[in-house]
Amino acid sequence: MNFMENLFGPFYGNMIGLLLSATRYTIYLSLAAFFGGGLLGLILTVFKISPSRILRWFATGYIWLFQSIPLLMLLFLLGLGVPTFYQIDIPPWLAAGTALTLFTSAYMSEVWRGALESIPTGQWEAGKAVGLTFMQNLCWIIAPQAFRIAIPSTVGFMIQVIKGTSMAYIIDYDDLMRWGKRIANSQLDGAEPFVVFPIVALIYFSLCFPLSLWAKHLEKQARDS
Amino acid sequence: MFDFRFYEIWRSQEFVQALIDGALTSFWLSSIGGCLGFCLGLMLAISQEKSVFWGIRYTARSYIELIRNTPFIVQLFFVAFGLPLLMDYQWSFYASALLAITLNFSAYFAEIVRSGIDSIDKGQIEASKALCLTKRETLMDIVLPQALVKVYPSLVSQFIFLFLTTGLVSEISIEDLTWAGRFISDRNFRDFEVFIVLTVMYMALAWLFKLLLQLLKRYAFPWAEAEI
Amino acid sequence: MNKENLAISISGMSKWYDDFKVLTDIDLSVTFGERIVICGPSGSGKSTLIRCLNHLEEHQKGSIVVDGIELYPGMKNPELVRRTVGMVFQSFNLFPHLTILENCILPQRRALKRSKEQAREVAMKFLERVKIPEQADKYPRQLSGGQQQRVAIARALCMEPKIMLFDEPTSALDPEMVSEVLDTMIELALSGITMLCVTHEMGFARKVADRVIFMDTGQIIESNAPETFFSQPKHPRAKEFLGQIL
Repeated sequence: MNFMENLFGPFYGNMIGLLLSATRYTIYLSLAAFFGGGLLGLILTVFKISPSRILRWFATGYIWLFQSIPLLMLLFLLGLGVPTFYQIDIPPWLAAGTALTLFTSAYMSEVWRGALESIPTGQWEAGKAVGLTFMQNLCWIIAPQAFRIAIPSTVGFMIQVIKGTSMAYIIDYDDLMRWGKRIANSQLDGAEPFVVFPIVALIYFSLCFPLSLWAKHLEKQARDS
Repeated sequence: MFDFRFYEIWRSQEFVQALIDGALTSFWLSSIGGCLGFCLGLMLAISQEKSVFWGIRYTARSYIELIRNTPFIVQLFFVAFGLPLLMDYQWSFYASALLAITLNFSAYFAEIVRSGIDSIDKGQIEASKALCLTKRETLMDIVLPQALVKVYPSLVSQFIFLFLTTGLVSEISIEDLTWAGRFISDRNFRDFEVFIVLTVMYMALAWLFKLLLQLLKRYAFPWAEAEI
Repeated sequence: MNKENLAISISGMSKWYDDFKVLTDIDLSVTFGERIVICGPSGSGKSTLIRCLNHLEEHQKGSIVVDGIELYPGMKNPELVRRTVGMVFQSFNLFPHLTILENCILPQRRALKRSKEQAREVAMKFLERVKIPEQADKYPRQLSGGQQQRVAIARALCMEPKIMLFDEPTSALDPEMVSEVLDTMIELALSGITMLCVTHEMGFARKVADRVIFMDTGQIIESNAPETFFSQPKHPRAKEFLGQIL
């Protein structure tokens, strides 16, 4: 933290140091939700386009459900609802991680399904014609083509995830938002809300904006090729 | 295992009333915020046109990026707690919530409308030029109406998505649907049931918004609905 | 030839897209009332040429004067020339969100500041002339391609231009709809308006054109009366081209 104090003076250095160290937890949660949700979303995507009708229905229902439930409600249900109902203790990181994973998986699989469907059916048929099974066809022929299409929106959705994690403070997850709120409530001179929240916003911005630029760049690349 | 006690909510008239009032507040906040946000978003989208003064263009662009890359809750807290101190004038939390919703929605809408404007066929603009319409007339009479129809579905789904995040205004003690949920669960300790009911109510409101916006489309863009 | 009488005069005009030269040293004079058909293989620059005449494209070298107005790159008020030049596009470019009648009324109201009643009257007059007044209250996508193109012609005529430009007006049409559009154009040609028409419809050229201009690789390589052009084309490229399309 010494570096921060040298840079911004003892008071602000300390404050920014606190916020930045809390940002770690925002990043952890984002990554967990992104990879957990990505993995789950991948499975769902396969379900959604699989030959089995039951799996397709399951995936459709799941995606519909978790796209319609507000993320805030998901956090409340897992962070407050389930613990009181079953009289168990769920740590905030687990509740928040699960909620965001469910949220992410539903949206991600929607994006990927769109990408898969944009591959002409002729490609599927060609694979079938040379005797590939459904999974072989998907893994070796379709997915590599769809991957390139899906990448910009996938990166773009990462921004949604990061912004989404900011709601987790509501079930006491100790992230950037919660520390920002705590400091803004501290009534200290120099830590007024109009100082603290712009700093918090700036930290979120510096996490999201590069991703948003990257997504735009990828999109442009995909369009030009 | 599944010992649901939903009657712990229904049995109290106070609780039911809180839910109804909360739903109405959520509905109105999003409706008004949505309309204002759409108007502001439209202006932001237009002010990114090449013909506009670069300073305005640049400001609009920065504003949109700033809003889209920060969480709503931070914007809300800044508007509700920071801005009044800064301006030395305390307004109501409802005004703050409405302002924050408007500002937040506008940036997302602006981005969608701009993409619609960009996607309009060049031939339409050439025809307008050939018919001596000015740039302004071309934008307002020809490009914008078509762009809005084109992006209408995206606007609707973005609006629904944003509506589902407005529960956060309960954090600045707006008595909306989420606030009603917390009010009830603080008293009957049936958090799970309460939030299940709340979830269903949010879904119902989202469905209602979709329905209303579908009707609005028929009214606003008769030509897109005309029979062939 | 009297300068005053010239609808269009182009001299030494060249145009580039970046480094690629699309038009090379074009010289062309058109008197009022003349009907000109421009043909040539695709990519020969014929569309670009007529799009330069109402400043949809800018030329970089040489001069273009249309109805006494000099066009130059970056000109501030191309409306001046566009007011006397009507244009019909290959893809119709009707405004899909306006009815047929509104399509014809809006430009009159905006550009000519006509009253609603007057604009309506003019619009109906020209819709009758292209023989679709009964479709006035429909939307463009409810009409066939041929009907849409006739509306586009009426819409351009509503501005009462002195010169009409046609950019491959029948290329996007189904074969059975070509003749209705050509009939409208022939009727228009006989009314004495100045016309420049990029088209491959040689029957049309034979019937109404005063001159056929053949372009290749951005140059005008032959310009002749239709009888001469069709019966004894001078240039080998023109011969080859005629062999392909006739």
